[in-house]
Amino acid sequence: MPDAPLIGPYRPDDVLAWEQGGPRTARQFLSDVARLAESLPDRPTVLNLATSRYEFLIGFAAAILRRQLTLLPQSRASQTLRRIVGDYPDSYGLTDREETIEGIESVSIQLRGGRAPWPGEIPGIPLSQVVAIAFTSGSTGQPMPNKKTWGALTGVAHATGSRLGIKGGDRAAVVATVPHQHMFGLEASVMLPIMHGLVMHAGRPLFPADIRSALADVTGQRILVTTPLHLYACVTEGVRVPPVGLILSATAPLSRSLAQQAERHFQTEVHEIFGFAEAGSVAQRRTIDGDQWRLLDGVRVVQDQTSWMVHAEYLPAPVPVPDRITVDAHGMFVIHGREADQVNVAGHRVSLGDLNQKLLEIDGVQDGVFFMPEEGADLVTRLMAFVVAPGKTSEELQRALRTHIDPVFMPRPLICVPSLPRNATGKLPRESVSELARQWLAGQGHDA
Amino acid sequence: MTSSALSPLEQDVAKLIVQTLKLKVDPATIDPTQALFGEGLGLDSIDALELSLAISQSYGYQLRSNDPEINAIFSSLRTLTKAIEKNRTK
Repeated sequence: MPDAPLIGPYRPDDVLAWEQGGPRTARQFLSDVARLAESLPDRPTVLNLATSRYEFLIGFAAAILRRQLTLLPQSRASQTLRRIVGDYPDSYGLTDREETIEGIESVSIQLRGGRAPWPGEIPGIPLSQVVAIAFTSGSTGQPMPNKKTWGALTGVAHATGSRLGIKGGDRAAVVATVPHQHMFGLEASVMLPIMHGLVMHAGRPLFPADIRSALADVTGQRILVTTPLHLYACVTEGVRVPPVGLILSATAPLSRSLAQQAERHFQTEVHEIFGFAEAGSVAQRRTIDGDQWRLLDGVRVVQDQTSWMVHAEYLPAPVPVPDRITVDAHGMFVIHGREADQVNVAGHRVSLGDLNQKLLEIDGVQDGVFFMPEEGADLVTRLMAFVVAPGKTSEELQRALRTHIDPVFMPRPLICVPSLPRNATGKLPRESVSELARQWLAGQGHDA
Repeated sequence: MTSSALSPLEQDVAKLIVQTLKLKVDPATIDPTQALFGEGLGLDSIDALELSLAISQSYGYQLRSNDPEINAIFSSLRTLTKAIEKNRTK
């Protein structure tokens, strides 16, 4: 069975990660991984919630060596974790803090200093080994599992690297603002650096001042893996940053004007990645060049009866594209919007059906619907919800909902209504909800 | 003065939070000791980022999450206001 090494071209004393202000070499990494692998419980699946990107990687690599599957929850919301633990009851948790996960055994990741031995050979992992499961929101309210093989993760890392001109041994440093448990974060901020022998910054800077100091922590060429939101914050704040060689943005569409501002501000090229959890990264573009996406090498899109399907050697089966796209003769494509049930809030994709289901599970809720307003001038367009729940207040419902859904999907606002405009067949056409939202927004000035 | 009465700066910061994040809350009713994130007002990290931009623009104070006290700063309206008072440049 063909395999691929756990890490790319590092010499023993090359820095692999920058952890809390200090370097970790490839030698230390392999020793950290081997030691943790020995001490992991004998279980099939692990929920890796480490907050440090480096400690997450140690846990991920150790689990791979033990042939365990790493579960990647969409969020840390307690309900999300409970559902996943319910589906995978033999799991244990990996954390890098004194943190426990309800209902399962937790192991904390410990690093040791000092000089570590070099194992001589970097472990090889079979390309067909399933190493992770990324969860997406299904329309039934249950998280949908998407299996990721080592071949898929390494394939995407190499295709992305070659498209962006990243060469093995460049020794560039990757600083990322995206979570590593998110598919794009795993691919661009963990797999991309370790497959190319780059330096991975373990932090996850949030505010512009944090991004500046994380970039200043590392030397040499810098790659910033981020989102339109963080780019907007840096440009607006006008923070002075050390030179950046490349910016990679994903999770939400980046406007051309923001891309232009970001290119000027950071004095570098801003590239975007298009992808989704089911297929991983699929295409790339330099945003200022136009709205056309170019597929990564080895990826094809083929139209079937209902939608466009992504094909790649490393995907066990073709995967439908969750957006409406048009493809030209050269395989370049343009995105026109989401398929009906899917919405994206700040880079988190969710099925409205799933959210509606969770709303209806709340005690006292008779009817309810989530609605995504048209994107406005705001930084992030939030969902709103209309709920029929006699005797309940908006605050009570918000509190109950908060334990069921990721905070990013919380409705702003949640509006209690006497009934929803369902039609004769009981359906709730989008236009009717849209009209309800329009009326409510128009009346906002009066009832405040 | 009871612990839940808002100081003038707390009132301004409460207004800034409600306006920036479009919350359906009367700024005057925010409990200054209540948590802003998670439970309480239920804000998330995107809110934190939006709020940091508004605070920077209004008060010239750039928040940093690797500030060892960031959780304390964000723990309530009162602690956030104290941090703004101490670090503001305008």
